[in-house]
Amino acid sequence: MNPMVSPPIDLATEKRHLGELAPMVIKVALAIGVLGIAGTAWLAYGAHDGGERFYRSYLVAFVYFLSLSLGALFFVVLQHLTHSGWSVVLRRMAEAVAANLPVLAVLALPVLFGLHHLYHWSDPEVVAGDHLLQGKAGYLNVRFFLIRMAIYFAVWAGLSRYYFRTSLRQDETGDPGLTLKMERLSGPAIVLYAVTQTFASFDLLMSLDAHWFSTIYGVYFFAGSILGFFAMLPIIFYLLQRSGRLTHSVTTEHFHDMGKLAFAFTVFWAYIAFSQFMLIWYSNMPEETGWYLRRQQGQWAWVSLTLLFGHFVLPFLALISRYPKRRRGMIVVPTMWILLMHWLDIYWLVMPEASEGRVPFSLLDLTCFLALGGVFVAAAAHRMRRRALVCEKDPRVAESLRFENA
Amino acid sequence: MTGSEKQLRGLLAEFGSTDVLLRAAERVRDAGYTRWDAHTPFPVHGLDEAMGLKTTKLSWFVMACGLCGAGGGLLMQWWMNAVDYKYIISGKPFFSIPASIPVMFEITILVSALAAFVGMLAFNGLPELYHVVFTSRRFVRATNDRFFISIESADPKFDAVTTASLLTSAGAAVVEPLED
Amino acid sequence: MSTALIDNTYKDPAVRPTLVLGGQDFTSITEKVCGIVEAPKPPRIWYICLAVAAGLTGVLFAMVGYLIVTGVGVWGLNIPVGWAFDITNFVFWVGIGHAGTLISAILFLFRQKWRTSINRSAEAMTIFAVVCAGLFPAIHVGRVWLLYWVFPVPNQMSLWPNFRSPLLWDVFAVSTYMTVSLMFWFMGMIPDIATLRDRATTRVRRIVYGLLSLGWRGSNRQWHRYERAYLMLAALATPLVLSVHSVVSFDFAVSQVPGWHTTIFPPYFVAGAIFSGMAMVVTLLVPARQLFGLKEFITLHHLNNMNKLVLATGSMVGFAYGIEFFISWYSGNPFERFAFMNRALGPYWWAYWIMVICNVFVPQVFWSKKARTNLWIMTIVCILVNVGMWFERFVIIVTSLSRDYLPSSWGYFKPTWVDILTMAGSFGLFLTLFLLFLRYLPMIAMAEIKSVMPQAGLEHGAHAGHGQYWGEIPHQHEHQFDELNGVKR
Repeated sequence: MNPMVSPPIDLATEKRHLGELAPMVIKVALAIGVLGIAGTAWLAYGAHDGGERFYRSYLVAFVYFLSLSLGALFFVVLQHLTHSGWSVVLRRMAEAVAANLPVLAVLALPVLFGLHHLYHWSDPEVVAGDHLLQGKAGYLNVRFFLIRMAIYFAVWAGLSRYYFRTSLRQDETGDPGLTLKMERLSGPAIVLYAVTQTFASFDLLMSLDAHWFSTIYGVYFFAGSILGFFAMLPIIFYLLQRSGRLTHSVTTEHFHDMGKLAFAFTVFWAYIAFSQFMLIWYSNMPEETGWYLRRQQGQWAWVSLTLLFGHFVLPFLALISRYPKRRRGMIVVPTMWILLMHWLDIYWLVMPEASEGRVPFSLLDLTCFLALGGVFVAAAAHRMRRRALVCEKDPRVAESLRFENA
Repeated sequence: MTGSEKQLRGLLAEFGSTDVLLRAAERVRDAGYTRWDAHTPFPVHGLDEAMGLKTTKLSWFVMACGLCGAGGGLLMQWWMNAVDYKYIISGKPFFSIPASIPVMFEITILVSALAAFVGMLAFNGLPELYHVVFTSRRFVRATNDRFFISIESADPKFDAVTTASLLTSAGAAVVEPLED
Repeated sequence: MSTALIDNTYKDPAVRPTLVLGGQDFTSITEKVCGIVEAPKPPRIWYICLAVAAGLTGVLFAMVGYLIVTGVGVWGLNIPVGWAFDITNFVFWVGIGHAGTLISAILFLFRQKWRTSINRSAEAMTIFAVVCAGLFPAIHVGRVWLLYWVFPVPNQMSLWPNFRSPLLWDVFAVSTYMTVSLMFWFMGMIPDIATLRDRATTRVRRIVYGLLSLGWRGSNRQWHRYERAYLMLAALATPLVLSVHSVVSFDFAVSQVPGWHTTIFPPYFVAGAIFSGMAMVVTLLVPARQLFGLKEFITLHHLNNMNKLVLATGSMVGFAYGIEFFISWYSGNPFERFAFMNRALGPYWWAYWIMVICNVFVPQVFWSKKARTNLWIMTIVCILVNVGMWFERFVIIVTSLSRDYLPSSWGYFKPTWVDILTMAGSFGLFLTLFLLFLRYLPMIAMAEIKSVMPQAGLEHGAHAGHGQYWGEIPHQHEHQFDELNGVKR
């Protein structure tokens, strides 16, 4: 016998279902959601601005949760594309978060109702007086926008449901052929994902200022989404382990890897953000610089600086060492901070277009966040109420349980 | 060697596989030796723990050098373009942070990488033109397919007989003296 | 299982593919890899290739000499096309140089153990490519003997370089990249050179390899720091490799030239660089593995993986083309729109379509596993990718410059014979260096490949499934091909 053999982790002895926790989580999340909805309704009704402010706050919250689910979908597809073994025990939760995309399709409806409040290109009168917008009308018009939204959500809902269901089916049958099937689809899936995610970011966010354009915008939104997801993932497993679930199967090595990914995408986000800023700043062309100018004037300058330090410098310093990444309680602190910064990033993308020089923080931002967040968590918990929290019969689950960081 | 007697510098033990080597390393470690080493053709996983090695301080050295590189790179650009040799080109400011980031970044990486490489060599005492283990004819296979443990005679616990028997009982295929 | 199996791309999700075939052990790996260097004579074809490559290198030096003696006027570039073949070649070669670091650093961080068979030669290729790349801006400056002015060294005019210029950022990026790649490559080779030293039979070898190996004795105290330094170099080289081609893209993108100024350039250039670099690795390694009998080390599984990376990065590049085209229309800026329509339908339409066909359409055959594992198909595809990536840089640089804002300052660049021969000569230099490397240095990282062998003990206990290597059930891999081999158990 080799002296270094450690007993293998046995999934069968592991508490790997939400069990009695599920109804509680759903109730609390729904309560928060209902509170958020009620508060939102009350505040929006009392604002007497025709919903202007509500729609913007809603868009921020909606895009925020959308980005987390999109990040999760990307993670799931990428794991299959790369035939990854280490991440098998993490994949189910990612699948569950991604499977919120059909829910988000329904939650997109308020954005569509508020189209005229949010997007100036949707107003025929504005377009009639704007030469640039007339040139773009072939793309930026209400009907095509709705068609595109339908396509995006159809693709996302289809992919996320496929991956979630096939993975659940494998829990029952243990058929390794299902893994091969999911891997085969992952190539086309990632292509579809890239196209829909990029154009969705153009449509939902970039067209808030329809004069402005930036080819890297899709990559910027992608970087933020993935980072947000990698920040959320260790928190999910931390909470699950605190409640006694998956205490052995998700090891220190997994937390280390999640921390590494959060670190890597912190740097990637900064790289993309800097590339976009640098090129526009240096070229100094009026048709582009206005977008950054709005974010550098008045109170927005402080938000921009907060992003520079809070979205990059602080997480970079907090995550660079191996030490915190291998400690569960320590890793979740910077990742919670990143989740907050990711929200601020989206806020920073949306709000300056309507409020120059002033940061219009409002209670509506909070209530919309709570409303959507409550629904988001409740939907995921409801989905997982009777499911295993790990892909227990994945052919590579043993590898995932036993891998080590060098 | 001008006629003088060869001196015993230590013992060299040869092992056939990583498994045996790992167990032998644990025994040497537990016996309390400090001036000894294992020699392998490739980094053997788990050997650091088996030998009881502490993690190197190299990372701190690299980090310190990298920070100096970042600060130095920024300072250099500011001093050269905004202090010592000011000239206006394309109406650009003499000094600005965004335009300084690429060069600052490259210098940070350059200095850190040099620190990692040179630091690794320096901490390892390389380059080293001579070492007593090279006197062994067997030792040429340490870079090929065999595994060795060498224990220096300078080790306070070293005793030619007991150390040799420890190595033999730990599974060494051959134990031979190192002399020069 | 003594039978050497050539196809290890067989797929069972529970079993990781074998990385080294043919029942190798540590001894046989050393014999095989060192044997290439120690053989009294290389294969005859090596001499033929070297003669051709050295001849082309001679042409390169002749052209450079002619250029220096006569002046940059011997090239076809002139206002408005002030950059042409020189910068195209520069960006092309820098791009080729990105695959080595991708394989040695990024795949290392991602625990892709299959990299161990190919990282050494890819790193070598990186360095030779950067040598070729550095040549072109150097000879384009005109007065080559004053080139040192690009570095911040005190000189007789007491002037400092202009740090506000992206061209200077390039100097720092490329020279840092060269230095770090060289260190990474050399450091990786130290243990293997020590192997060559310990096997040396002649005095010259003993002295040369002895000096180069720095007295390495494979001590675990040394390995410990060595591995840590290697990890840190990988972690530093990863952002570095992204930065290098990003900075190269800044040369264009910080300007206001339509077709150059677009924000996606940095990541898109990086993807393109890795794309062309991977294609070059495949192009070189397919013949090299045949020539030196390394089919059991650089297996079809390795080539399959590399071709997947070619497909992935190629698709990213194609996607970026599409986004650029879309945004040029969406921008509503007539100059932007013109620049892109001019690329596709203007006087350089042929270059544009060579680029699109080679970079976007051709690699799509790699969706098929048959194509990814067929040596002829992959070689042809990868050569075409390199053609396409050269034309990509040509299209970006020349089409935008040839159409200035006023039609009176439009132009059409035609290369002169000096342009063409200099470019051909740079391939000669690259291949000469690569051929010399194959002959005189260990082209496979022996120490690294041994550490992922089953005999290295990774499949035991806690180390099972360590990284991406052996499957989870100990010794299962020994039988994974039994069925194919007709072995009954």
